Amino acid sequence: MRDLQERLGYLVLAATAVAYFAVYTTSLGRPPGSFDYLAILNTTMPLVLVAVGQSLVVITGGIDLSVGGVVSVCVAVTAATGGTPGWILAVLALGAAAGLVNGVIVAFGRIAPILTTLATLSIYTGAALWILPVPGGSILPGVRAVLSNPGVPTGLAWLALVVAGWWVLRRTRFGMRVYAVGSDETAARAVGVPVERVKAGVYALSGLCSALAGVFYVSTTTAGDANAGAPFILTSIASVVVGGVAFSGGRGSAMGAVAGAVALTLVIDVLFFAGIDPLYQSLFQGLFLVVAVLLGTAAALLARRRTA
Amino acid sequence: MNLPRLGMLFMLVLATACGTAAEPPADAPAGRLKIALSNSFIGNQWRVEMENVFKAACAMPPYAAAVECSVFNAGNDVSTQSRQISNLISQGVDGIVINAASTSGLNGVVQQACDRGIVVVSFDNTVDHPCGITVNTDQVKFGQLLAQFVVDQIGGEGNVVMVTGVAGTGADNDRNKGAKEVFAANPGVKVVAEYSGMWDSATAQRVTAAQLPSLPEVDGVWVSGGTDGVIKAFADAKRDMPVFGGEAENGFRKYMAGTLTPQVTGMSIGQPPYLSVVALELARAVITKEREKGNLTIPFPVVTGSALTPGETVFPDLPDSFFADFTDSGPDAILVLCQEAATDGTPCPGKTLDVKLGTP
Repeated sequence: MRDLQERLGYLVLAATAVAYFAVYTTSLGRPPGSFDYLAILNTTMPLVLVAVGQSLVVITGGIDLSVGGVVSVCVAVTAATGGTPGWILAVLALGAAAGLVNGVIVAFGRIAPILTTLATLSIYTGAALWILPVPGGSILPGVRAVLSNPGVPTGLAWLALVVAGWWVLRRTRFGMRVYAVGSDETAARAVGVPVERVKAGVYALSGLCSALAGVFYVSTTTAGDANAGAPFILTSIASVVVGGVAFSGGRGSAMGAVAGAVALTLVIDVLFFAGIDPLYQSLFQGLFLVVAVLLGTAAALLARRRTA
Repeated sequence: MNLPRLGMLFMLVLATACGTAAEPPADAPAGRLKIALSNSFIGNQWRVEMENVFKAACAMPPYAAAVECSVFNAGNDVSTQSRQISNLISQGVDGIVINAASTSGLNGVVQQACDRGIVVVSFDNTVDHPCGITVNTDQVKFGQLLAQFVVDQIGGEGNVVMVTGVAGTGADNDRNKGAKEVFAANPGVKVVAEYSGMWDSATAQRVTAAQLPSLPEVDGVWVSGGTDGVIKAFADAKRDMPVFGGEAENGFRKYMAGTLTPQVTGMSIGQPPYLSVVALELARAVITKEREKGNLTIPFPVVTGSALTPGETVFPDLPDSFFADFTDSGPDAILVLCQEAATDGTPCPGKTLDVKLGTP
């Protein structure tokens, strides 16, 4: 049953994908085409990236609310500078640095993650407004063609890179330490894991993921908005929850969060084609989340009863 | 051992999903245009009225027979709105009418809609991609007109208070800019206080009540939103009533008409909720090639003095927070709608809707 909780994300994704296919086909009389798959891929990429970062932090037992601010800052800088490759590298460094600040405060300052990242969230959001006070800016067409080409699924290659990156990361010493810190911090410290450095590293990685998300956001929308990041705070946490990552830390995987992120996007489409009254759309989105969480909790309870 | 349980779970979710899908939207009769409204945020009175008049217009002739409408809300989330517009493209709609979550965030998907020959009209919070058409009012002029009215009424001499809106938004910026230009051009006018009422009557009332004790005699008040709240604060403090230039809150107009006392001299201008209906008509006209593609700036519905008509420019049985400018009035009215269109989204009985876009 523990397996079930870990695989919750894939199950929910499979269910929403089947539902999407069914609802789309009944509504339009034909299955989804390449335009639909490509649009889903390109609009989901930013959330997928933020969710990967968020899941790493949650696996160590923390939470990162500042992802919204980091995405906003990175969107603002990318759009304001026109998204040249040099500036994109600078943006990635900026995101990692912003995340590192969180990590240092949480790990060495010993301030609760929720407080730290709530504070830095407003700082980063404010900085984004200062850089890009009015929505606008641009991105090089060449960069767009490589990142989120509206005609060719280049996003798939980037998604594959994310999956490969995670696959490598969890097999490194750092990856194992992330789980060790999340499972039992005291025990990890006792066996010589540098807990502070692992935590700082995890928040920096989350910042880097948010920066990548910001670049992808500008690439799909072709412009920037200093308020772009705000919705990612809740949706990234929701993706992690649906993806079966335990908030107590130590369990779950970034791939579950990726599945959760795609599932959350597909729910919007399912509601759309099911013809749900727009006034009740957010109600159904919330219900979906509650059901997913309850399934996860039920699985965890069953697992506990079985081992007891 | 997990398989049967997993299978059941899977079937359950699938069954739920198919259950909701059992009633696909009815196919439109041939020849009806498909036009969808994609709105972002739906949490305030203005947006609710805007959506209600859109639904009412779609149910009234000539639209009831010519257009098949649908309405979608995305919240203030660009990716949700972007997904919904992608799905509208897949549905093969003829036109999309947008009140955007971000002026720039939908550019990518709007471009894709244009590439497929879909007419995109945005209003209120518009989309800045050049392939789309916009319908809006002139917010700088909003500030100027109200400020000029206040200056004229007080004879170009006296103390003025400015109650502004939500900082960081384009409309607030533009309105304040217009007002300050006029006040600066009149050296006899002194702006004694400037504070934000957040476009909300309750907030405007609270902040004004807090400011009043420290203010000298006030001759004129310029309000970007929440006008009825500001008047209530002046009345509660037993101050002499200054001249008011404000938004189109029904409460403000009740004071102007004298339904609420004390009677107030004022000018009321609004961002009309019927922008959604004007956008619908523009989309229809462009799709049917009756009109060239081109942006449209519509005049404000303006009401001055005490000559208000109940049921047309002021609504005694509607709440103070209601925006009274859901319908235009006068001989040059762009369109005329009834009360139930704005409150319930139901068609006005026995009426044909005539939207005058003017010459391009």
